[in-house]
Amino acid sequence: MTDVSFVDGLVRFIFVAVLITAAFLLSTRSLPSLLRTYQLQSLLLAMLAVVFSFVEGSAVLLWIAILTVVSKVLVIPYFIGEIQERISIRRDLEFHYLAPASSILVSIALIIGVYLSLGNILSSAYAKVEPIFFIGAVIGISLMLMGMLVIFSRTKAITKVLGFLSMENGVLLFGICVTELPFIIEVMIMIDLIILILLTTILTVGIDSTIEAYNEKVRQYSLWTVREEDAP
Amino acid sequence: MILSAYPLIVVAAIIGFVLIPSRRILHLLAAVESAAFLVVTGVLILTVPLPATDLGPWNGIFFADHFGVFLAVVSGVVFFFASLYAGGYTERLMETGELNPNRLRLFYSGLALLQLFVTLAFFADNLGLFWILAELTTVFSALLVAILAARENIDAALKYIFIASVAMLFSFAGVIFVFEAARITLGEGTLTWTVLVQHASSFPPTLLFAAFVFLFIGFAAKSGVVPFHTWLPDAHSKAPSAVSAILSGALLNVGIYGIIRAYSLVHQTPFAEKASLILFVSGFLSVGVASLAMLYQTNLKKLIAFSSIENMGLILLGIGVGSPVALFWVVIHMLAHSLTKAALFLSAGVLHRQYRSHEPGADDQIVDVFDLQPTAAWGVIVGTLAIVGMPPFPIFYTKFFLLTQVATVSPWLLAATLVLIMIAVAGMARFLIREFSARSEANVQQPHRYIVPLGMRLSFVLLIVIVTVQGLWFPVQEIAVISQIVAELGFGGV
Repeated sequence: MTDVSFVDGLVRFIFVAVLITAAFLLSTRSLPSLLRTYQLQSLLLAMLAVVFSFVEGSAVLLWIAILTVVSKVLVIPYFIGEIQERISIRRDLEFHYLAPASSILVSIALIIGVYLSLGNILSSAYAKVEPIFFIGAVIGISLMLMGMLVIFSRTKAITKVLGFLSMENGVLLFGICVTELPFIIEVMIMIDLIILILLTTILTVGIDSTIEAYNEKVRQYSLWTVREEDAP
Repeated sequence: MILSAYPLIVVAAIIGFVLIPSRRILHLLAAVESAAFLVVTGVLILTVPLPATDLGPWNGIFFADHFGVFLAVVSGVVFFFASLYAGGYTERLMETGELNPNRLRLFYSGLALLQLFVTLAFFADNLGLFWILAELTTVFSALLVAILAARENIDAALKYIFIASVAMLFSFAGVIFVFEAARITLGEGTLTWTVLVQHASSFPPTLLFAAFVFLFIGFAAKSGVVPFHTWLPDAHSKAPSAVSAILSGALLNVGIYGIIRAYSLVHQTPFAEKASLILFVSGFLSVGVASLAMLYQTNLKKLIAFSSIENMGLILLGIGVGSPVALFWVVIHMLAHSLTKAALFLSAGVLHRQYRSHEPGADDQIVDVFDLQPTAAWGVIVGTLAIVGMPPFPIFYTKFFLLTQVATVSPWLLAATLVLIMIAVAGMARFLIREFSARSEANVQQPHRYIVPLGMRLSFVLLIVIVTVQGLWFPVQEIAVISQIVAELGFGGV
């Protein structure tokens, strides 16, 4: 088995890298690189699951890693990429309420807040605390809150979708670190997520481009066949 | 095994929706499909002794207790009348070019799947499964809101999906907390309701309370409770009226069901009072925000949507009291609110069809309502009287007893809630008096009368009849069932 301190260092590296991707999602303006950041974030989580599965010898975590790679690194980003191709915009420049710099400051405050409050909640559960899992749980919840900040502060619906996906990554990280959920639940969440993303991105096309262009695009996709005279 | 009848019905119906060319038969099939759900639930009540664990297909996945079956019946009734109504309504939507005829099949398939997920959610014995089903109801109801493909509809649907799903992710963190709490105490994690309720008192209380807070965020957003309510007025008012009735009458109950279940866990710990405080604060805020918003509404469906928020707030206050009597009236309030609100949305839908404004974003101009649409006008008036709690309608009793229960906690809370309810009543009365007394100007041509199909008229009239009968006649068996619900949830005997 590999050296414990090596594993520890690797896990810590992944945690830091995940936080950096979250900060990127809050500040990057180009849509394609936002998507790539999300892909990277999911890949990091899959790596984390693989590392944990070797440490704990758990097959479930390995399956979770495979599932994450297939759905969140390949399928969902491919689909969103296709949608991005079809919306003519490439950049998301506007920010609501919070500019990137201040939202990063807010995120730091959030992480500290989560660290303090989660310490209270989990202290009873983790009598002999395993610090690495605890930090993972903190980063998981922080990632959720940062994803929520993305949803609040970005204007384009397609970026909001990525914020939502990043939140979901936070839940996954939290789940991996706190407890071991039955695999079937993970699979069902993934199916649910894919349906949700399908629907939101299709609707997003309608919001991020004009309605006429929307009907045009829906027809190209032949998702709903729209006839000429019915177009609003 | 009887539960597998539900998906079978839906699969058969969807095959029908895809293959049948005639639109008339399509409408009929939708009504038959939702009636079949009611029949299956009826058979289940007659053949399965409640509470039954292990309903199959696998162990520990589905169960049936009085609460779940009760809500399955309530939502079954709402779905049935909404489907009956949908036939005429969608025909009209297609005549006016708002609904693409090619999307009718998608509409009915979405409706059938939505009914499946709502019904199964009430039978889920597993918190994780319940979460997933609740999340799927969001997806499919948002699809039904967006089906008209007007920009406001897509906006409303996206807002709905984002707020509800984001909050539901917090709920999922709550699910993880529950699982961990069970793992610490029982050695092996579980999400099975029946096991959780048995052992909740021995779980680590802090962890369980944290779980409740997280679960509450998601389920509160599903049931449109302040501060997660902002999606509700838009989605409920922009959706086709048949869908509005379902959103208000069946889907809000899914969220409340989750809150009651989660509260029944934390109720057994020393943190019960803190959990109650959360419920009181958000319940009171819901009543307050909704009542004040109702004062200045100019759109009938939006007004009714805000009234839903108000009623959800009242339900939360009742759950927060946590006494068996309060829970008893909470359950009846859920029933009465669902049926009354469905009737209101369905009759308001007729008025919307008659007076639909052709400028996007503008409100309907209601004129000469008693000449043009007397039945629907009376439907709205009687429905409003029922929802504000006039005797002899059931909400009079539920509001009365819920408020007396609130008084046992704090007379000030009672006084403040009462004032807010008065404001809500004033808002509704003001709207109705202003809009329904409007006459058309002499030199302007009266709009053409919209001939309401029988199915549409029948559905809201029958709902109002059911509500009225429920107010006048409260059978002993029903009292027994609801007492049983309260006892099974672990709140003690009434």
